[in-house]
Amino acid sequence: MKISTQWLHEFVNPSATAEEIAERLTLAGIEISSVSDALPPLDNVVTGEVLKVAHHPHADKLRICDVRVSAGKHLQIVCGAPNVRTGMKVAVVLPGSHLPDGTEIRVSQLRGVESQGMLCSARELGITHDHSGLLELPGDTAVGINLAQALGGADKVLEVEITSNRGDCLSVLGIARELGALFDLDLNLPPYAPVRPAIRDNLPVNLAAPEACPVFAGRIIRGLRTDAVTPLWMCERLRRAGLRCVHPVVDVTQYVMLELGQPMHAYDLKHLSGGIVVRMAKTGESLQLLDGNAHTLEPDMLVIADSKRPLGVGGIMGGTASSVQADTRDIFLEAAYFSPEAISDRERKLGVQTDAAYRFTRGVDPTGQTRALERATRLLLSFANGEPGPVNRIAGRKSAAAKLTLRQLKLRQLLGIKVPAGDVDRILSRLGFRTRKHGRTWEVRVPSHRFDIEREEDLVEEVGRVFGYDRIPAIAYPSTQRMLPLPEEQLPLARLRDILIARGYQEIITYSFVDGPLQQRLTGSPGIALANPITTDMTVMRCSLWPGLVQTLRYNLNRQQKRVRIFEYGMRFIAQHNEITQENILSGLITGSQYPVQWGLPQRAADLADLRSDIDALLVASGAVEHLEARVAPHPALHPGQSAKIRLNGVDLGWMGALHPKLLRELMLDQPVFVFELMLGPLLRAHLPKLAEISPFPSLSRDLAVVVDAGVEAATILGLVREAAGRQAIEVRIFDIYYGPGVDSGRKSVALSLILQDSSRTLTDEAADATVKRVVRQLQSKLGATIRD
Amino acid sequence: MLELDQLIHEARTRAAASESLAALDEVRVHYLGKKGVLTEQLKVLGSLPAMDRPAAGQRVNRAKQAITELLDARRHTLEEQALAEQLAADAVDVTLPGRGQEPGGMHPVTRILERVQALFTTLGFRVEVGPEIEDEFHNFDALNFKPAHPARAEMDTFYLKDRPLLLRTHTSPVQIRALLKYGAPLRVIAPGRTFRHDYDVTHTPMFHQVEGLLVDKGVSMAHLRGTLTDFLQRFFEKDDLKLRFRPSYFPFVEPGAEVDISCIFCDGSGCRVCKHAGWLEVLGCGLVHPNVLETCHVDTERYSGWAFGVGIERLGMLRYGINDIRMNYENDLRFLRQFR
Ligand SMILES: [Zn+2]
Repeated sequence: MKISTQWLHEFVNPSATAEEIAERLTLAGIEISSVSDALPPLDNVVTGEVLKVAHHPHADKLRICDVRVSAGKHLQIVCGAPNVRTGMKVAVVLPGSHLPDGTEIRVSQLRGVESQGMLCSARELGITHDHSGLLELPGDTAVGINLAQALGGADKVLEVEITSNRGDCLSVLGIARELGALFDLDLNLPPYAPVRPAIRDNLPVNLAAPEACPVFAGRIIRGLRTDAVTPLWMCERLRRAGLRCVHPVVDVTQYVMLELGQPMHAYDLKHLSGGIVVRMAKTGESLQLLDGNAHTLEPDMLVIADSKRPLGVGGIMGGTASSVQADTRDIFLEAAYFSPEAISDRERKLGVQTDAAYRFTRGVDPTGQTRALERATRLLLSFANGEPGPVNRIAGRKSAAAKLTLRQLKLRQLLGIKVPAGDVDRILSRLGFRTRKHGRTWEVRVPSHRFDIEREEDLVEEVGRVFGYDRIPAIAYPSTQRMLPLPEEQLPLARLRDILIARGYQEIITYSFVDGPLQQRLTGSPGIALANPITTDMTVMRCSLWPGLVQTLRYNLNRQQKRVRIFEYGMRFIAQHNEITQENILSGLITGSQYPVQWGLPQRAADLADLRSDIDALLVASGAVEHLEARVAPHPALHPGQSAKIRLNGVDLGWMGALHPKLLRELMLDQPVFVFELMLGPLLRAHLPKLAEISPFPSLSRDLAVVVDAGVEAATILGLVREAAGRQAIEVRIFDIYYGPGVDSGRKSVALSLILQDSSRTLTDEAADATVKRVVRQLQSKLGATIRD
Repeated sequence: MLELDQLIHEARTRAAASESLAALDEVRVHYLGKKGVLTEQLKVLGSLPAMDRPAAGQRVNRAKQAITELLDARRHTLEEQALAEQLAADAVDVTLPGRGQEPGGMHPVTRILERVQALFTTLGFRVEVGPEIEDEFHNFDALNFKPAHPARAEMDTFYLKDRPLLLRTHTSPVQIRALLKYGAPLRVIAPGRTFRHDYDVTHTPMFHQVEGLLVDKGVSMAHLRGTLTDFLQRFFEKDDLKLRFRPSYFPFVEPGAEVDISCIFCDGSGCRVCKHAGWLEVLGCGLVHPNVLETCHVDTERYSGWAFGVGIERLGMLRYGINDIRMNYENDLRFLRQFR
């Protein structure tokens, strides 16, 4: 909301600059986001009167005007505006001055005729965007005065941004009340005394929805002049508030809304039949509103209707059929109180936004309707004549002012400072609260315009914010007695993250919602859909982190980053029946060369074994790496020959594999990509280390190569070797795998390295050889292995 | 015995001429070996008259010693030379880059989150997390958002299709979960992802917050100011950082405030970043609303508390200059590598 300080000063006049006022309001919770000049610099622009208009001899569209700019001083000005006419009051830019856009105005020749200045449109003067013709000043404007003076004088405009609980500050009155409290000043209210009715005409009102509309007030005004023009001062104030002058009646209702915060509506009386009915809309009822569109109403919308049809949607927008027009003489003026619950969200459903709905949603003073009607009547009559009828105010149940107790002790406890009792009294009463002190407590009555005050704590805030938050000191709260628990069998996430980082992975963070089709392709599952996604490629909640990793990969490949190693951890979302499981997952992706380009290390592409080694490294932290197994299993996103389910202690932990070549083609990726995903919970469960005895006896090493069928898995071989070697085998590793000459086709040679040790005595060569023999026999009998020399 | 002196002289010349340990060894064998010249000389002693033998023997031994010494000296020199050659041959270009894997790095949002977490854990705050798909109760109702209040609509909430669930719009639901789980007194921080239907330079539909909550006896605005001053001064490593509390509105706190810090770029004198105000908005906070405490079965006559919520991307903007917060989620490696 924009508000003129000049207008504000009529209500309360602190001796402070606009900037100081803005600062005080901001620090009291009424944010002023900007302070700007109401008018551009108009030093050499004066008011003038067009005395004569003559045709230009050499140009059809130009006129030669004789303009009086002071008693006895006339200027000849050439002008091309369509609306220039004799007797018109205009703004004249004198020679030797500049327009706000910097254009210099000089005495010049226009098609051979001298022009001694310029007549301007509102846009040329930098006042509004209107460029349809000259800015026309009212007929009673004095000639030869500064234009700024004619427009009401210099002024600053405050841009007010209220929080949603402070609807009471959406008016000049509301802001003035805050300033009264901040500067400890009385309010000067404009005349709200009733206007004596001149006629008896009255419209019956049937309040059929008293919950939604507890108060409805209105009056008839007949015989308005149809040639009435809204006074310049009023138009100018509306302009400074960001509104346009459109029609005297509408301008007055807008003016009163800005001044008092009470939205109003005017109907052309001749289009109303019977009385007014305030009721909920009927299903299927429809209406053309002032936005020009036909709207179908819903039963939770409030309508103001006559005996035949709906006229408008209460508190939101009027209808076109009953709206005031240029020829309107008789009106019905409405000021009602609609409850926030009856307005909230209907704007969105109707697809409209109005100042009225904005105010009603945030709370309008339920006692201010008559005052607004009287103010509007007085303003309208002052320039459009008319005869008012009596005010007809219908009110449903009357809600009593809330009564609260404020304890001095609570105030001190919550703010952490002592606010003198006198200050508390002063602050609350300036804000409109009525207080009575009993010992160390106040009994406080909440004014009808405050919708946000429900409890003692709300009063504490009122006192605190006006007294000044900056007067509250900074005090450290005493620390707790005990340290935080630190379960050692739970690894910090940072531990895993740092392992991956040390192994060349970059952490990424991607959106929790992903592209539906991509997710379907990568997981075989559609994912949980959003009702209102923000873009068409972020429609479902992720059930895997792979879509985010793959998108990130594509983004970076497109930016010449060919070597990508990334990981992310975060929640995935899986729906099972009515339950949604939200679990933390750790996922990674590698592609491109395994190592950065460097000397002394041959370049090679990363492969599945590289990925597996990273997974193993993660498990080392939890001490469970020997309980990890990879099992061949199909996955919709993975290469059937390079796809494995990862299991830990016999329980599924996740997946690893190479993206399916078909998928790579679909995604336009031209290099192999390896991915893993692991449940984070089990990964972070560690066991407390318990020192095992370190054998003091020397170990022996033995190598052997066995030839087995090519399909035999490494895990099977290693398992059998460990089983046969028993506890003596402290290390079993595969150090070579060979296919080719010397080995039958369909077979492979696997070279194994064993380190053997006994914990109770020195292992003899004979004993070691015996163990190797056991291993060989095991492999021969279980796998049909042959020994290769 | 001129011959012996001659012999020593000759040995010295030959040792000096030996350019390798092998050559030097030949010289040694020639003079001192089993059949060496000096050994022969000792054998000749037997043929001398008995009275001459001791003196002659002594002379031969002295010559033997002299030759041994000069050979040792030469050996030492040759060994030093050989070592020097070896070392020269072993020299590498120490300016060559190292070999092996190059570490990756963490995301800037994680960096900030961990920094905030680290500061608060030193004050005994425990870290709690909550679900990202939330219900109306935890995200709104329990946090004192009234059904028709505009504050609710202002949250720009994402909803799930066909389910009465939503994506949490703030980390504040964790306040409710933690209070219901642990009761008072309590101090927790809750980092995590949050979601709002908004997308431009300063808004991404997903962002991160850290929620802080302290509920205990006699907790006041002064304590809130104390902890936040400490936190922000430590976070920005500026002990003269000033805080400004502006009254504001969040349904779940009362009194509520928005906190500005003196501009870290101009020290409050006014610059482009702070729009010449000298202040930068950093977070929202307040005393926990009694309705919230009561919903969580906390006795508001015995306990009070404060809470705050800070946007991590906002801190990243101020700390690292990430002015377009969308960059955080594009995951451009050239961007991410700057925060390793
Ligand atoms: Zn600055």
